[in-house]
Amino acid sequence: MSEVFEALLRPYDERRRAELVAAYTAVEHAAEPVPEVRFPALREPALRRTVEGMLALSGRTLVRSDRTKWISGYRDDVAAELARDPACVPSVRDRAVLTLVLIHSVAIPRAAGRLGDDSWLSPFPTPLDELRRRTQLPVGELDAALRRLRLAGLVSQVKAGSEDAGGFVPGPQFHRLTPAARRRLQEELILAAGPDSPLAAAIRARRRNREHDQGENT
Amino acid sequence: MSERPDEGGGVDPQVLARARARVLGVPSIDAAEPVPSGVRTASDGTRVWMLPEWPDGATPALLEEYDTAPMPLDRAGQARRVLAAALRCCWLRLDDAPWPGTPAPVGHVLEVYGGMTRGDADLARRWATGELRRLADTGWLLLDGDAGTVRPGPRTALWPEGSLASLRDLLRRLPHPPRPEEPGGE
Repeated sequence: MSEVFEALLRPYDERRRAELVAAYTAVEHAAEPVPEVRFPALREPALRRTVEGMLALSGRTLVRSDRTKWISGYRDDVAAELARDPACVPSVRDRAVLTLVLIHSVAIPRAAGRLGDDSWLSPFPTPLDELRRRTQLPVGELDAALRRLRLAGLVSQVKAGSEDAGGFVPGPQFHRLTPAARRRLQEELILAAGPDSPLAAAIRARRRNREHDQGENT
Repeated sequence: MSERPDEGGGVDPQVLARARARVLGVPSIDAAEPVPSGVRTASDGTRVWMLPEWPDGATPALLEEYDTAPMPLDRAGQARRVLAAALRCCWLRLDDAPWPGTPAPVGHVLEVYGGMTRGDADLARRWATGELRRLADTGWLLLDGDAGTVRPGPRTALWPEGSLASLRDLLRRLPHPPRPEEPGGE
């Protein structure tokens, strides 16, 4: 049945094999990073490398979180390839709505020092009214975009509580960004929010240099 | 960018094909097209749906054994009930596998669902209609908007036979779907 995995799993005895499969299944399907104490195949570096090999078969890799937790995400080179494929990229409307959520729930609180530097998850919901006003999308289209983003795990809905009005925060998929992907997203947000800032100029210069270097290497 | 400078287009095409299938959910191709290696497939004769290949038959249900929460689903209870109502209508030979099943009118599914819930019938129908669309978006059902019919989605082909017994019991206890309209019938 699962021939692709066989080459990687064959050398292991039954117990190890079950541990590898459990770790693989957990990082691929869990909502949040899973603690390595519960999964021997994530705790032991040699086994962890095999889990990584299993993930690599479909272009994925392990992402570490809080030092001792793990989840899976797309490898950077694979994500770059997929992003070139229009069928794999969310529509421009969905991306616009998601960007607004990231600005309100992450960028603004982070600039105010209320949110850590390297997280894309946030306890600060973006109110629906704000999304309505800023996107200028008809209500039906905004609702459809939010439905798709929720279904994809890119945003989560926060129900209105006694103190706040509720709204939308970045969804569980943001656990699955590699360090390089988190950095790139941070840069994109700076470019979007302050295109004329010195920081944006520095990012553009660095990217130009990198492209230049790559151009010379190939 | 990755830790090592990437070589540009260096991704194995089979790996990329599996990654692409994952991004797209449960994509389908014409039955005549080649299928990348390392994916499972479900076919209804004309189209082939690409499904994830899991090692040693492990399913996401394994998360329960480890007290680990799966990806959250809005209104999960309602989604399950609407899926059950749909299966009641389009998985008619319960001794067989649910896939590929038989198309059933959406109206029948809404009627079965209505029989499972209490309260405002109109509201229940509206909720269930939205839920059918979400279940179709995620490959649990196939909706044919023009014909107004629904049938089991390719993901149901991933259910291991050993896990179907309790589902069959559950479906037998649900309200009967309305009889299919036969020529000269009701």
